[in-house]
Amino acid sequence: MSDFTWLIGGEAGFGIMTTGVVFSKITTRSGYHIFDYVEYPSLIRGGHNAYEVHVSDQDVSHLSPSIDILVCLNKETYEKHKSRLTAKSLVVFDNQEFEIKEDIKKIIIPFKKILTDLKGQSIMKNTIALGASLGLLGGDIDELIKVISEQFSKKGEEVINFNKQFVQAGYEIVKKDYKEKILNYLVKKQGEDKLVLTGNDAFSLGSVIADARFYAAYPMTPSSTVLTDLAAWQEKVGMVVRHAEDEISVINTAIGVSFAGVRSSVGTSGGGFALMVESLSFSGITEIPIVVFIAQRPGPATGMPTWTEQGDLLFSVFSGHGEFEKIVLAPGDNEEMIELTAKAYNLADIYQMPVIVMSDMYLSESHKSVTKKFVDDFIKNYKINRGKLIRNPESVINKLNNKYLRYKLTEDGISERLVPGTPGYFYQANSYEHLEDGHTSEDAQPRLQQVDKRARKWATYLKNDFVLPNIYGDLDKSEIIFVSWGSTKGIVLQAQKLLEAQGKNSAFIHFNHIYPLDKEKVKSLFLKDKKYILVENNSWGQFGKLLTMETGVEIKEKILRYDGRPITAEEIINII
Amino acid sequence: MNTSTIQDFSGYNPTWCPGCGDWGIGIAIKQALIQLGLSPSAVAAVFGIGCSGNMNDFLNAYAIHSLHGRALPNAIGIKIANHKMPVIAIVGDGDCYGEGGNHLIHACRGNHDITVIVHDNGVYGLTTGQVAPTAQKGFKSKSTPNGILETPINPLALTITSGATFVAQSFAGDALHSIAMIKAGIVHKGFSVINILQPCVTFNKVNTYQYYLKRAYKLDGNYQKSDFKTAVQKSLEINEEKFPLGIIYQTEKPTYTDQLLQLKENTLVEKKRFTDFDKIAKLFI
Repeated sequence: MSDFTWLIGGEAGFGIMTTGVVFSKITTRSGYHIFDYVEYPSLIRGGHNAYEVHVSDQDVSHLSPSIDILVCLNKETYEKHKSRLTAKSLVVFDNQEFEIKEDIKKIIIPFKKILTDLKGQSIMKNTIALGASLGLLGGDIDELIKVISEQFSKKGEEVINFNKQFVQAGYEIVKKDYKEKILNYLVKKQGEDKLVLTGNDAFSLGSVIADARFYAAYPMTPSSTVLTDLAAWQEKVGMVVRHAEDEISVINTAIGVSFAGVRSSVGTSGGGFALMVESLSFSGITEIPIVVFIAQRPGPATGMPTWTEQGDLLFSVFSGHGEFEKIVLAPGDNEEMIELTAKAYNLADIYQMPVIVMSDMYLSESHKSVTKKFVDDFIKNYKINRGKLIRNPESVINKLNNKYLRYKLTEDGISERLVPGTPGYFYQANSYEHLEDGHTSEDAQPRLQQVDKRARKWATYLKNDFVLPNIYGDLDKSEIIFVSWGSTKGIVLQAQKLLEAQGKNSAFIHFNHIYPLDKEKVKSLFLKDKKYILVENNSWGQFGKLLTMETGVEIKEKILRYDGRPITAEEIINII
Repeated sequence: MNTSTIQDFSGYNPTWCPGCGDWGIGIAIKQALIQLGLSPSAVAAVFGIGCSGNMNDFLNAYAIHSLHGRALPNAIGIKIANHKMPVIAIVGDGDCYGEGGNHLIHACRGNHDITVIVHDNGVYGLTTGQVAPTAQKGFKSKSTPNGILETPINPLALTITSGATFVAQSFAGDALHSIAMIKAGIVHKGFSVINILQPCVTFNKVNTYQYYLKRAYKLDGNYQKSDFKTAVQKSLEINEEKFPLGIIYQTEKPTYTDQLLQLKENTLVEKKRFTDFDKIAKLFI
């Protein structure tokens, strides 16, 4: 059975990120599953980049505490990560560049000499390192050459062949000098086709599946790759992507598009979302659907742009002035990201309100392999539901005065939404409080009617579309019950496995439908006389507070991490 | 085909002050739409917040009554979704030149095919008379009791130099000329701005009908509206409190949606759904 971690580190700006993705793709093409994670400072050059890939036979969505192969393109990589080495770990480096005094298993690759001999640029150290890594793992060099050929296909045969030499140089040194150290962790085997996706890629894919035709954003880490993904695909999929002048324009363009009858969304991080919230409230009262993707990073203000935190939960839940309804979802991994993103567009259309999909740097920028079958099956089963969007108002008009009422009072709180341009009719979407026909009104009665109508949409949602948290393990048989939300899912699942290995049963309540919550149904999960432990990547225990506010449930024990790094399963076990 | 009437376009009765320049602008917009053969079903209108934005209840169309300052991005969005529909934004000077100033600059750059009709009265009427960005330096108002320290914005020069392809100015007291300008703006393919000088009879005792009648003049037939440098030069006259009326600048450039290949065949709202998902999936294998 294979389960190992490979980490490559070096100076920022020298291709570490690309190399990491190539490694992940070779691994999945060889039949394995991956979960990876990047560490990088908010700089383009200088500083330290590290890319680690956790490879397994099984589906995996957490990091491992130890590193099996550490590839050091500079000394800092070794110093920063040596604490995670075990007696079995292999360390790849060039002793012409720096010395390692400790007694470890050294794999010396003469990067410098190879570059000089083959007249390569320093970025090609990565290519040598990939060849050497594959050699050490008993992997298939042809697979690597194939990925590299695809990567440089536009640049022509010459560039491909030039790069091949560096792959081969690294690979052959290992085969020649370190034969006895080769670990057969990556022997090619049959496996399903897999997609190597980040959470951001999964959001982008989910949006295309859901027939979203417009996306707007202003670049902001860690959400920016949604913008670059969709911008790259736009002509292929027939979407329009607008990089607007600021986040206020971003959301208001999307609201205009949505008003005109087209599914649209925006993406940002906490700071950008702060600029959008007035317009979120505007979407609330005008009942214009909008999907908002938030990839959180540690705040306040500029905070720590390239690190992770779940610190914007309460801000998102309560974002916007005035009382208006919204739905907040927080996928736990890539599969849930695809499902809940596509669902978010349906919910926005059905309930005609903003729907927020929450991620964070850890989920947004880590790759996790997802089987192609999962994606294909999801596409097959997904049904677009545009709710009460109509193109022919004949059946809904008031027969007495032939009037179409955009904000008609209904039992479920949802009124028919007419596609603008429909001949013979017109209406206005009004940011002022309004009458059923959309006209401005400050009278008491219509105000009460419209507030109550909008509130009924939540009741309808809780009845028809709210989903209770997923429960992993047996609530009755476990002493310990973990509670978490969003991206911490894979980490807590791993903690459960580690506890099981110690003979301890645990259960796990994982929320991905965050807000609103069904008070009675949720409360019933917390009535057992057990040790409930809240796990969150923030310092306030924000979901715990929300749970108390919405249901009266209070979780006393908390495991919180807020140094910008993801919580780990080992940390959870050690605290217990 | 011209079948619509003033009644078709008229919603509720306006609540503007008697004598307000908005009455003239309101009529001019409706007349322009009628003369262009449009019906309320065939036009999208986005209103800002202010006395001007209150036209939302008086003008029938597929409309959004937006937030203060945000009408332009809403209008751009509607145009992207349905580029065959005429889209107008009806905004105020505080709304468009103050709160929404950033959107204006970038909407000009994008040459989005929308028509922006600005009610320029130098004050914030709806909040009872604070100073607006177009007021002359030294203008005394409730928020600037000693006179405004800033110099006024020059909306003509700003939009011309930011990339607008149609910039005009008219006077609310001259409905026929305003109709002509609004029609020309809507017909123009690209970003069009019509700055309408509009007396606020309640809160602005300086920029009155008399004030504009003395200082405004119509451009004659010899004026070269397509020459950029001439237009910039002309637009600077308002810094000296001289107000040219007419099309100050007009040129032809591809609009934002003209440049989108994915909109060549059909509008975004009418397109068929994309379903060849393997094209995307294969990027990740």
